[in-house]
Amino acid sequence: MGNDKKKIEVALQEWEEKVLYPRVKRFNLQESPTRFYTPLSIKHGNFLEKVGFPGQYPFTAGNQPFDFWQAYASEAARMGYRPDWGGGQVGKYGGFGTAADYRDYLKRMHSMGRKGGPNIAFDLPTQCGYDSDSPYAEGEVGRVGVAIDSFRDFQIIYEAYTGELDIDKVPSNFTINAPAAVIIAMYAALAKQRGIPLDKLRGTPQNDILKEFIARGTYIFPPRPSMRLFRDTCVFCTQYLRALNINSIGGYHMREAGASRIQDLAFSLANGIAYIQAGLEGGLAIDSFAPKFTFNAFGGSMEIYKEIALQRAARRMWARILKERFGAKDARSMLIRQPITAHIGCSSTTLQRPLNNLVRAVIGGMAAGMSGGIPGAFPPFDEPLGLGHSQEAVQLQLDATRIMIYETKVADVCDPWAGSYFMESLTDATEEEALAELEKIEKMGGAVAAIENGFMHRAVAKSAYERQKQIESKQEFVVGVNSFTGPNEIEVMINRVVEDTYDPELLRMAEERQKANLAQLKRERNDQAVKESLQTLKMSAQDEKENLMPSICACVEALATLQEICDVLREVFGEAQPVKL
Amino acid sequence: MNQERKIRVLIAKPGLDGHERGAHVVAFGLRDEGFEVIYTGLRQTPGQIVNAAIQEDVQVIGLSILSGAHLSLTQKVMDGLKTQHANDILVIVGGVIPEGDIAALKGMGVAAVFTAGTPIKDIAAYIRTYVPNCSA
Repeated sequence: MGNDKKKIEVALQEWEEKVLYPRVKRFNLQESPTRFYTPLSIKHGNFLEKVGFPGQYPFTAGNQPFDFWQAYASEAARMGYRPDWGGGQVGKYGGFGTAADYRDYLKRMHSMGRKGGPNIAFDLPTQCGYDSDSPYAEGEVGRVGVAIDSFRDFQIIYEAYTGELDIDKVPSNFTINAPAAVIIAMYAALAKQRGIPLDKLRGTPQNDILKEFIARGTYIFPPRPSMRLFRDTCVFCTQYLRALNINSIGGYHMREAGASRIQDLAFSLANGIAYIQAGLEGGLAIDSFAPKFTFNAFGGSMEIYKEIALQRAARRMWARILKERFGAKDARSMLIRQPITAHIGCSSTTLQRPLNNLVRAVIGGMAAGMSGGIPGAFPPFDEPLGLGHSQEAVQLQLDATRIMIYETKVADVCDPWAGSYFMESLTDATEEEALAELEKIEKMGGAVAAIENGFMHRAVAKSAYERQKQIESKQEFVVGVNSFTGPNEIEVMINRVVEDTYDPELLRMAEERQKANLAQLKRERNDQAVKESLQTLKMSAQDEKENLMPSICACVEALATLQEICDVLREVFGEAQPVKL
Repeated sequence: MNQERKIRVLIAKPGLDGHERGAHVVAFGLRDEGFEVIYTGLRQTPGQIVNAAIQEDVQVIGLSILSGAHLSLTQKVMDGLKTQHANDILVIVGGVIPEGDIAALKGMGVAAVFTAGTPIKDIAAYIRTYVPNCSA
């Protein structure tokens, strides 16, 4: 190889002098607009150490030799299987209005054969720890998700899940972060009431509070007490809800908010490390809980080579962190378990000539198929046109995914880029840059410190503005947005009808009805029991060492409201303050 | 020396919506275009926004809303401005605003709606045209 390398070096130099430079000169350029990679581009390491086999450390080539959907792909095509979007065994992400509105909707879905577990979107007041009668909730009750004020609401939703769909049979997803502990407590309380052992409960709470401070914004308490709540849920789930995933760590939200690819990767892993440390501080052994961590998704972009490299680098980095730094022995602790891999991200879609977004999504789907994921076209092309997707956009998305799976066979090879001089060097470079960023965060004291001092939030905002400047100055081109907008281009018309998923009349009246439900709850419940449970919670909260979950469970069962629970914690923990730019 | 004062703009996020990218980009962009920009940060009630606008003596309010609650939240801001006799402040709206809702927002007195893909310099030019006697 040494001799080979010498020969290639000589040949490369000769090629540059005889072929490349004359051509660059001929076109009056400063440098070549393309690059070419050779074995010299790969600086160090060997195949087994850096790539390995799919399903084996360091997992660069993939978590598994094939995914479950691939085992049944032909069968699915023959029977005309139409997935109930949501991934795994949960149904479509949704939720609106009052608990009864959402329950009735779920029952309707079940009668149509869509029997996935609940994949619950919570309204913004619930996500921010406010009841429906709070002044902060005005106008937002039941809008972007269902309103949960108390355990009673939670119980009502689950009236749609009994018998063959009971909670020991179908999993649940909860897109909830700051009050995740309360929702997990409700899930446990429901199982208790139904006589179902806690270790039968499956599903995934998002429970990723750190990225809320960096990007998504639905925080309640300051970062450190928020991490205590995470620690307590992590320990509680590991001890009792052993089949439940603990969290779903997301880089996606940060990238959509403007983070660069490297920031997305580094911040996600930094957050992941902080969660691992929280579990360890809670006294857990690494392999007892790390296998129950999941990832939501990293962000995406149109630059698919770089997105494929990110996926490969992320798998290798996380595996190494778990094995080398935290001493994990169980391979399952080292996996980035996520429903999708590479994709273009919603922020790559354009309002201008929106059908082009289908083309964009397909390119992202090809990248997914080439990076260990299902080749999914995401999102539907009408994503930037407003909330909700048209039936036609969803059909085209579904068909695009099928075309990629069955006609292109893009996912029939694991890590098809393995061994490419270009992709291996790009993966190395991605890892190197992300490690440097991660080290910067470690020097500050880790993710929590880098959130407290505003570093991550400001970095994301700054990157968002950099991207905007690149587009406005035409250093970067977006078709139909800052280029190819002349008078000869024609507008491709689409007829977009978004059917109301939910009854608009119910939605209009949801706030009023939910406030009435809450008032009724407050009249009917045992005030003394509520007061006592909240008092106990306060005392538990004051002792940092104590696990809050038993007290939160008691509050939930006494029918204390979500805001009452959060208010007690606000009193002890304080409230998070927005970062000043 | 130019003695005219710079145009002051309040960029505000009404309600609990946490999508901040647009607000950040417009705040940075207008600042670089020479405006005085004040950003409220997340989770402001319409009342807080109206008060901030008056206290900061701004000529322009830019509301950024991506939660689908733009009609009710904007209406409350417009009502608040009227009550406080501050309806000479130019209100512009950005975010995920369906085409069909733009007329309704303008009917409330919103001067302009800027959706995704709008260059900052277009927003800056618009403000300079409609806020006279100031520099930026």
